[in-house]
Amino acid sequence: MSGRRIVVTSGKGGVGKTTTTVNVGAALAKRGKKVVLVDTDIGLRNLDLVLGVEKRIVFDLVEVIEGRCQLRQALIKDKRFASLSMLPAAQTREKEAVSEAQMVAVIDELAEIADYVLIDCPAGIEHGFRAAIAGAKEAILVTTPEVSAIRDADRVVGKLTAAKIPLRLIVNRVRPEMVKSGDMMSVDDVCEILSSELLGTVPDDEEIIDTTNRGEPIVLDDTSRLAIVYDKIARRLEGELVPFTTFEPANFLSRMFTMWKAG
Amino acid sequence: MEARVELEPTRTAALQRGRAIVITSGKGGVGKTTTTANVGAALAALGKRVVLVDADVGLRNLDVVLGLESRVKFHVLDVLEEKVTLDEALVRDKRSENLYLLAAAQTREKEDVVTAQMVALVECLRERFEFVLIDCPAGIEMGFKNAIAGASHAIVVCTPEVSAVRDADRVVGLLPNDWRPELIINRLRPHLVKKGKMLSVDDVNGILRLPLLGVIADEPGVIVSTNRGEPLALDATSETGAAFRAIAAKLAGANVPAPMVKLPSGSLFAKFGSLFGGRA
Repeated sequence: MSGRRIVVTSGKGGVGKTTTTVNVGAALAKRGKKVVLVDTDIGLRNLDLVLGVEKRIVFDLVEVIEGRCQLRQALIKDKRFASLSMLPAAQTREKEAVSEAQMVAVIDELAEIADYVLIDCPAGIEHGFRAAIAGAKEAILVTTPEVSAIRDADRVVGKLTAAKIPLRLIVNRVRPEMVKSGDMMSVDDVCEILSSELLGTVPDDEEIIDTTNRGEPIVLDDTSRLAIVYDKIARRLEGELVPFTTFEPANFLSRMFTMWKAG
Repeated sequence: MEARVELEPTRTAALQRGRAIVITSGKGGVGKTTTTANVGAALAALGKRVVLVDADVGLRNLDVVLGLESRVKFHVLDVLEEKVTLDEALVRDKRSENLYLLAAAQTREKEDVVTAQMVALVECLRERFEFVLIDCPAGIEMGFKNAIAGASHAIVVCTPEVSAVRDADRVVGLLPNDWRPELIINRLRPHLVKKGKMLSVDDVNGILRLPLLGVIADEPGVIVSTNRGEPLALDATSETGAAFRAIAAKLAGANVPAPMVKLPSGSLFAKFGSLFGGRA
């Protein structure tokens, strides 16, 4: 078995990388795929909290790399999705504890036992970012329709392109009513500015704050609208053609941004 | 630059020098840049001389949030590498004579900044400004270390989310022991707290236990204002702006009560405290 190695990245922090990793991973697992989530945010780990497995951590990524435990000993199996597991980051170490080559080795090993290895990247474009993308063959770029997030995402597009990693975009926390009133960029405009293919659009939803705090992926709740959204993303990753929701045409803000970017 | 650090300032000079405050969080996207821009603008409106330093080399955004991106010609690294003088790199705000921005380099790496030079630069700025607000990058890597190096005080920004609190807790542990960082809780949604679907101020500060500088409610207007580069602190009608102005007044020494959002107190997340085994 040689699974897909996908890094979930953004440049800017707090746009939803970890939430996306957990929910896309859980949606794929729900469809029967064998999925491993890897937290590479050494020192600031959070994937364990969002997945609700923080109390079950025994070993971490750094201990695997330092040979203090076997990879399978460090993997935590999710109790709700049989084919989902995660590899936690070390909390009291530095990002430099893992080199790019070491990361590649771990991701390669995981790809042997999984259909999907989803790598949750830290914010920024420092060493932690470089290590996280080193083992990936594909990328999901998460952004929000905000000028600062898109500017950071644009930097990451450049870095991923240079590393020859193809990417697709998830536009997160879209508020259609703000798009309509001209106070938020549309998804089409975000894709155009970043010249990137769209993988999915996730509407802003208060429910996600609560489920994230409680460590319960929102895809557990079949009736929630976000569960449907993440399932669509999972199906697109699987190669299915799933139609997108259409959004409003270019507005004032998008035009301003395009001008600014050209200037 | 090195030479300037060695010039030991006299006691009087030390008293006159400005305060260098780093705005940090660990987690990204909690509102560091928005806070820096708004508190800075509000301090300048109070008549204070303020410089905002963007320490997020490679992922700068403070210029956008202030609406100054078209005026940025030089950046911190140009100054550190002595390509331009500090005066050439400082961008004056279009709305206030007292507010200046020193932008980060966008096409460089955080590792290009030498920590000692950053310290010297902040020292220099403290001689000319009453407040030096340093906008820290997310994370705890080199960019974070450089951003806190020149500061003597920290404001920790945190949202009422488990992950943000955990990261903030980690950052507080990494700050110098003799600092007493102050806390801003950002993006609170009172109606969610009431329903038990969001951590309360007590929940957050029960873990962090820091002096509370302010609480900012979540408001879609913030997205609009940051996109447009117009800090809400300058909008007299905005409640969020008022909260930032109150924080600025406190920093400037006024004895004002912490701007509190009316909230039910007590912990709704019983399991929450057990997630934190103390600061590493």
